[in-house]
Amino acid sequence: MRHLADIPRWCEDVTDSAGPARFARRSRLKAAVLGRRNEPDPSAPAVADGSAAALVYTVTGRIVDASPNLLVLSTDQGEQRFPLAAATKAWRGGPVSPAALRHGDHVIVRRSLPGGPVVDRIWAEVGRVTGTIIEREGPVTLLVDEGPAKGRKIVIIGARATGRIQVRFPLLEPGYLIDVIGLKHEGFLQALIPATSQPPYRADRPPTPPLISGHVPDPVNGTAVWHEPGEEPQGLLGLAYPALDPETSCERVGPAPPSCSGDLHAVDPHTTGPGCVRLPYLSVGSMLRLRNDCTGRIRLLPVTGCGATARLFCDRCVTCGTSQKGRIADLTMAAFVELGGALETGCFNATMTIGG
Amino acid sequence: MLLAIRELQIPVLAAMLIGGCAAKAWQAWRSRSVAAGMGATGLFPLRLRRPVMIAIFGTEFGLGVGLVVTGGQAGTALPAASVRTATAIFFLIAVGALQEARQRRPDIGCGCFGELSETPIGLRTVVRSGLLCVSALGTIGAPPLRMPASSTQAEFWLAVLAAEVTLMAFLSPELGEILVRLGYSEPCELRRLPVRRTLAALHTSSQWRRYSGQVTAPAPVDVWREGCWRFVVYPGLTRGRRVDIVFAVYLQARRPPIRAAVLDPATNEVLGRPEPAGLPLSR
Repeated sequence: MRHLADIPRWCEDVTDSAGPARFARRSRLKAAVLGRRNEPDPSAPAVADGSAAALVYTVTGRIVDASPNLLVLSTDQGEQRFPLAAATKAWRGGPVSPAALRHGDHVIVRRSLPGGPVVDRIWAEVGRVTGTIIEREGPVTLLVDEGPAKGRKIVIIGARATGRIQVRFPLLEPGYLIDVIGLKHEGFLQALIPATSQPPYRADRPPTPPLISGHVPDPVNGTAVWHEPGEEPQGLLGLAYPALDPETSCERVGPAPPSCSGDLHAVDPHTTGPGCVRLPYLSVGSMLRLRNDCTGRIRLLPVTGCGATARLFCDRCVTCGTSQKGRIADLTMAAFVELGGALETGCFNATMTIGG
Repeated sequence: MLLAIRELQIPVLAAMLIGGCAAKAWQAWRSRSVAAGMGATGLFPLRLRRPVMIAIFGTEFGLGVGLVVTGGQAGTALPAASVRTATAIFFLIAVGALQEARQRRPDIGCGCFGELSETPIGLRTVVRSGLLCVSALGTIGAPPLRMPASSTQAEFWLAVLAAEVTLMAFLSPELGEILVRLGYSEPCELRRLPVRRTLAALHTSSQWRRYSGQVTAPAPVDVWREGCWRFVVYPGLTRGRRVDIVFAVYLQARRPPIRAAVLDPATNEVLGRPEPAGLPLSR
């Protein structure tokens, strides 16, 4: 006889050393027990252990040398050289010439063809902060809480970007949401581009989600966004899912007691409801098929983390037409680029199929 | 016949105005924010959105009540004619505002009926306001409201009313949202269910009795959920060979379907073919 009191907690800590193998195995166990032969093979093309082997368009690394015709990167696979076409575009706080990129910059590049040598897009030192403003110092310095899974970041709005950001984010006050893209610096993000329009509500009062008639539609449409890797491997191909099972995932971690005045404005997204799009509960290791509706590119991706902060944003993506309301996936940078997204745009209209 | 149609517009307009007003008030009360149901007020600078929202709310309420109160007067009387003209102007402005919002903010709903109106503004919403403007114009000069003189007239009024309600329903994206809310029950893939209950159901099942003799640990080594299924993995021993025993428990309150499979933990080879589940992930 098993005692219920003996049941441990299965908090899905993706940094747990035994975690990646355990999560990667789940799809195979599910297929075995449900007797389904058409389940996606979890070993290919994407795996949950962060291996970059499945990346066919995307490469991440640090610049060793950059010239108008050649980019040399230091990557996990060693030094790699990429010829640059005349049409290759680079971004470093804005459009720049590839030769203007600096030695040591962290970059993410996209190849023109899968596995091909030529690069067509380069993003250098691009960063993003998405969360709740909890402190404001002066007109341009913000402390932003990205939720229990990601912690807090400092955002400094550059002088030239102030007007552009305040048009889309008129309430740069504690308690309101912010989502900005910019240049990463040591200890802070220099915000340059608004990634969305600011929701009109306070972060702790998102709208009530629409009810579902019957079952959750599959596939589901909405917005896919990206996040910085944080503690994840740089080339991780996966996504943070907004609706992890609250019984076995990060929602079981209790909120930290307030230790500074800003904590009063911090919002735990797990306590504010399911967000404006209803998604079925899944777990780390679940496989999803995600389609970029703007490029038509499709990838099978594992859930690699908790994306509860995405629930706070009841916005739409207008990259190609107007998407359904709500964020359905918070992709790793590598997955976002792999699917054809432009990091400086911040989102793409997406279709997600549960279970692949 | 035309006169009867004109007379019917007064209660229809009053119902639309007061209904919109009540839905906005409900949303503001629930979110504790007047600006929550922003809608077309998103066209205004931030500092003006709250007063504009309050002005719209007050205007709708005033016009709705005014139509009811002055319904017993002829449309040629000054109060009745004023209210009906103001209603027509209100909906005319709404047509312009909705069209402008549709062009400049394609991502927002009209907010006409609070949180029910979150669908992006479409042509239907604009046409609905246009029709309400026309029907308000039609009430100017109409005689006082009265009871039908005969059963034939009552039936005719009911038929006209049904046709108009059907037309409004067709032009209202909010209708789908209302129907969903009326017949709602949380589907299993969205329902929170404690792991304890899943394990309690598993431990009383025939599948558990079949495999419990092979289980070698008091607690599972992994538990996770996908949609309507929760998966539980126990380490086990079969004829001296280490195995993993995987249970899939369907998340329903009573007598959930349960599947089991035995796998080699190193190769993930299935030792014995399980029966197909029959139930898809979210059903």
